[in-house]
Amino acid sequence: MWIYAGRRVIQGIITVWFIATATFVAMHSVPGDPLLSDKAMTAEIRANLAAKYGLDKPVFPDQYMTYIGNMLQGDFGISFTQQNREVNDIIREHFPVSAALGILAVLFAALGGILWGALTALYRNKLPDIIIMFLVILGISVPSFVFAALGQLGLVGLNSWAGQTVLPVAGWGTVSHMLVPALVLGLSTMAFLTRLMRSSMLEIVNSDFVRTAKAKGLPPTRIFLKHQLRNAVLPVITVLGPAIAAITTGGFVVELVFAIPGLGRYFVEAVQQSDYTVIMGTTVFYGAFLVFMVILVDLVYGLIDPRVSVE
Amino acid sequence: MNSSADTTDPILKVSDLRVEFDTYGGIVQAVRGVNFEVSEGETLAIVGESGCGKSVTVQSLMGLIPMPPGRITSGSAQYRGQEILGRTRINGRELRGSEIGMIFQDPMTSLNPTMTIGDQIAETLQVHRGFSKRDAAARAVELLSLTRIPEAEQRAQQYPFEFSGGMLQRAMIATAIACEPSVLIADEPTTALDVTIQAQILDLLNDLQRDNNMAIILITHDLGVVARMADNVAVMYAGEMVEQGTAHDIFYRAAHPYTLGLRAAMPSNVDETAQSLQPIEGSPPDLFAPPPGCGYCARCPHAVEVCATKPPPRFSLEAKHNVKCWQHHQDAPSPPTELFLSSTTQAGDTAAP
Amino acid sequence: MSESIQQSDLVLSPTSFKPLVKEDSEQGISRPSLSYWQDAWRRLKENTRAIVSLYIILGLLAFTVLGPQIWGASGATSDVDQISKAPFANRAATIVEPFEPWDQSKVTASNNGLQLDGDPTTQAVRLVWEPMAASTNGYRIYRNIYPTGPERALGLPLGEVFPSQGTYFEDRLDLSPTYYYYTVVALGDKSRETQEFQSHEFDVTRVITADEAVEKNLIESSSDVAVGDEVMLAWHPLGTDYLGRDMLARLMEGAQVSLFIGIVAPLIYVLIGILYGSTAGFIGGPLDQGMMRFADFVVALPFLLFMIVFKIAFGVESGESGVLPMLIAMVVLLWPATARLVRGQILQIREEGYIDASRLLGAKSSYLIGRHMIPNTMGVILVTLTFAVPSAIFTEAFLSFIGMGVAPPTPSWGSMCNEGLKTMNSTPHELIFPAVLISVTVLAFNMLGDGLRDALDARMRSRE
Repeated sequence: MWIYAGRRVIQGIITVWFIATATFVAMHSVPGDPLLSDKAMTAEIRANLAAKYGLDKPVFPDQYMTYIGNMLQGDFGISFTQQNREVNDIIREHFPVSAALGILAVLFAALGGILWGALTALYRNKLPDIIIMFLVILGISVPSFVFAALGQLGLVGLNSWAGQTVLPVAGWGTVSHMLVPALVLGLSTMAFLTRLMRSSMLEIVNSDFVRTAKAKGLPPTRIFLKHQLRNAVLPVITVLGPAIAAITTGGFVVELVFAIPGLGRYFVEAVQQSDYTVIMGTTVFYGAFLVFMVILVDLVYGLIDPRVSVE
Repeated sequence: MNSSADTTDPILKVSDLRVEFDTYGGIVQAVRGVNFEVSEGETLAIVGESGCGKSVTVQSLMGLIPMPPGRITSGSAQYRGQEILGRTRINGRELRGSEIGMIFQDPMTSLNPTMTIGDQIAETLQVHRGFSKRDAAARAVELLSLTRIPEAEQRAQQYPFEFSGGMLQRAMIATAIACEPSVLIADEPTTALDVTIQAQILDLLNDLQRDNNMAIILITHDLGVVARMADNVAVMYAGEMVEQGTAHDIFYRAAHPYTLGLRAAMPSNVDETAQSLQPIEGSPPDLFAPPPGCGYCARCPHAVEVCATKPPPRFSLEAKHNVKCWQHHQDAPSPPTELFLSSTTQAGDTAAP
Repeated sequence: MSESIQQSDLVLSPTSFKPLVKEDSEQGISRPSLSYWQDAWRRLKENTRAIVSLYIILGLLAFTVLGPQIWGASGATSDVDQISKAPFANRAATIVEPFEPWDQSKVTASNNGLQLDGDPTTQAVRLVWEPMAASTNGYRIYRNIYPTGPERALGLPLGEVFPSQGTYFEDRLDLSPTYYYYTVVALGDKSRETQEFQSHEFDVTRVITADEAVEKNLIESSSDVAVGDEVMLAWHPLGTDYLGRDMLARLMEGAQVSLFIGIVAPLIYVLIGILYGSTAGFIGGPLDQGMMRFADFVVALPFLLFMIVFKIAFGVESGESGVLPMLIAMVVLLWPATARLVRGQILQIREEGYIDASRLLGAKSSYLIGRHMIPNTMGVILVTLTFAVPSAIFTEAFLSFIGMGVAPPTPSWGSMCNEGLKTMNSTPHELIFPAVLISVTVLAFNMLGDGLRDALDARMRSRE
């Protein structure tokens, strides 16, 4: 298990290096020199950047080595557009917001997906199944920004109906700010996981070992919890890594619509302002985060499924 | 083989059981009026080819048939004189796992992959016998050694994927007998195992039966297994029991052409009768629309006109030997000589296997 | 085993025991044998949802390709008379004389609060009011589209009238055919507003001059109509957007962008994936390992982030639509999934018994590929392709929505949603139509994909 974990982490580090290199190559193929052509930049920032990145030196290997070296020390550089602002500060300030929103959304999605999926499988082809599966199809077919818009519209309606602010329509700060955005963010993933859980559960319901459990005369609740649910959840856990990635990037839209000061919104702003160091830094940071989330999910899966842990 | 006294009351008695399934293509009449009984300490083998309704018959007794699409349309099954069909409890006691144990064909898929073997055995004891977790775990280890699993203590902590097929089947047996059931249903218990393991499993079943005086219902398509295990045999074809009798009857005094066919299709190492295997031509009838007459009519070498139009009644030949075949009718002019006929032929006259 | 035998059952006719003559020894296979694809097609046809989806997709393609031919309007031209109009909005306009300056000397002064001189039309609203005692410094005029209410949200300040200009005001500012709530507030010292005001609501009607009507192709010539006649403005079946552009035409043009990316991008990257994956799978060995390791790295790139990074790297010059960079970025990032799938399939099929059997019977590699490998991977690839389309459409919509996709004048469903979101409360149709189209398209492709997967899945075949 530890050897496996170590191997995965090393693979992860190589992957992050690949992401960093790909980002570097992509950003240096931007037509024209971004540093020289940018008009918004003050002379002072430009001087700082030139000193920091050795812009007089060739792109490869000197600039590339500087870039990778800085990154190894955990230094993502300084902002193009904001004087004396480090990318690290930006990440430190905005990422916890995105992470809090993301964690809540993943919780919504995973718990909802498992619950609804199990329910639909148990009520297969009956009314609850039909209703939930219809909602699921809506959930995977309607773009996230439409849900975000509807969510906000719903909040406005709720507040005006109640005559007071039940839940804030936008902004950040308290748990009440998070609820609806997190729900909206997790919705399509929840729909996807529901579908997965349903098919997994249906397979388990008809499996030989559940028949054995019935032949052993176990009470239905015990069969459901100990034999069906635990086995049916396994495939859901395997896709949680990609699901976290989907939710993280989906956060861009939700943060924009609900005016949440997360890293995703900051990233979109940085792109609009051509703040290249922030773009590069955030991309590599997000990339590393996602790579290690996937590894983490795989390791957790190994703990849950006995068949993996022995390998 | 244990011979049981003829006078004992049957522990399980099934009569006129009929089971149907609604499927994509229509209604399948999987079991069409089945009767059998089994007594303590006795082994009944139900024999027949794939799809003849053997498994459905026993699964319907255990309430394992998914309903829908399955449906038990008629019949009764009495366990110690009490009706159990359509219910899983009698006198407040759970029947399944407690009074009737069951083991399945494929041990690889029949155990929960994410639960230790020990827990899966202990579970039944906790649920039916109110054992504490610790006692149940200790008993599970005992049961594993009882089913001749070495290092039972460590084995109990392992997961199914760490076991071989034969070991898993032993674990399945340990689970099934944990609560000392009176009846053990074994649904092709050795089909998925290789031959040497098969023999060990069958011996184990025999020994457990002797120790606990269990009744065993053994489902198989392997006449070798039947010869080794069975006291009584029921031959099933197309959802019906075409011939029933003692193992001796079935092997030496077969009265139904299908039983003969099955035997001819079985390899033999007795020199004078050794011959090439004779397959039964054709395939079983479509159970979406069973033929009006005898189900075997289309494949039967001895079919006569009445076979195609009227289902044969059950003809009793001896106390425990009966058959569903028109050739045993009193008006049948010249019955084929290889069939055992109670009035005309004597034991041993028919072709030996 | 006592079973009573009914005597009646046993009464048989004399012919009962004649040996049965079997008419046909062949038991016969009742169902005709079908090829894999025939069987899959039969199965798909039985799946109502998949077939409905197929028709919806064909309809969408017709909407995209034939639609613009049938509905001639262009999505680029603005209809300034109809801005942000919902479908089925009133588009009647009354023909009036050409505009003439207001001769205020002919106006009779108001003696009853805020009044009108002439009819309120989209040409001009001419206000006349009673002189107010508090007015030492003239008046300020407001216009609102909502009732002003007690909190005195007066709306848009239109202008001020100096004391010398009397009590007249002419509003010609961007008038729409709707209810307007006008308020005139008396201004005191230093032009501060006083408590004295007059207000009134007017229902402004749409008018058009004959010349304008000719210019907009509403009528043949100005002699066809007389003042007071009604003409109909251009018809916009799905309304107009915030620039007065025809929604239907824009949705069709947007469909061209969205479906182009949605269909062409998956086609290209699935093709690349097939070539890459099958090469790796066939050759095997260290080359296979190396190729798949590289594919693993590309898979690990965070997709949407890199879509954005690539978009920046390609750079979109002004006047470009940005469709091509998005297409390339998608192809560059998404091919590995198919490559892995195809490689896995090929490796799996190579191990199958029927390949060995075929090889033993002397089949050449080309035969094996043509007869076994391709048919057995086609199903999986087809299903992948069907599911790739909705995700590509989603990606385009997502990027366009956050402003990283198609550049503004070019419409796409995603960018239309982005624009529509801003005016979601007042004119929801600008959001609803593109959002519904995206959803229906994605839904149809997903359901078709489900249907195809069920139809092609060999496991399902045996389960029936």
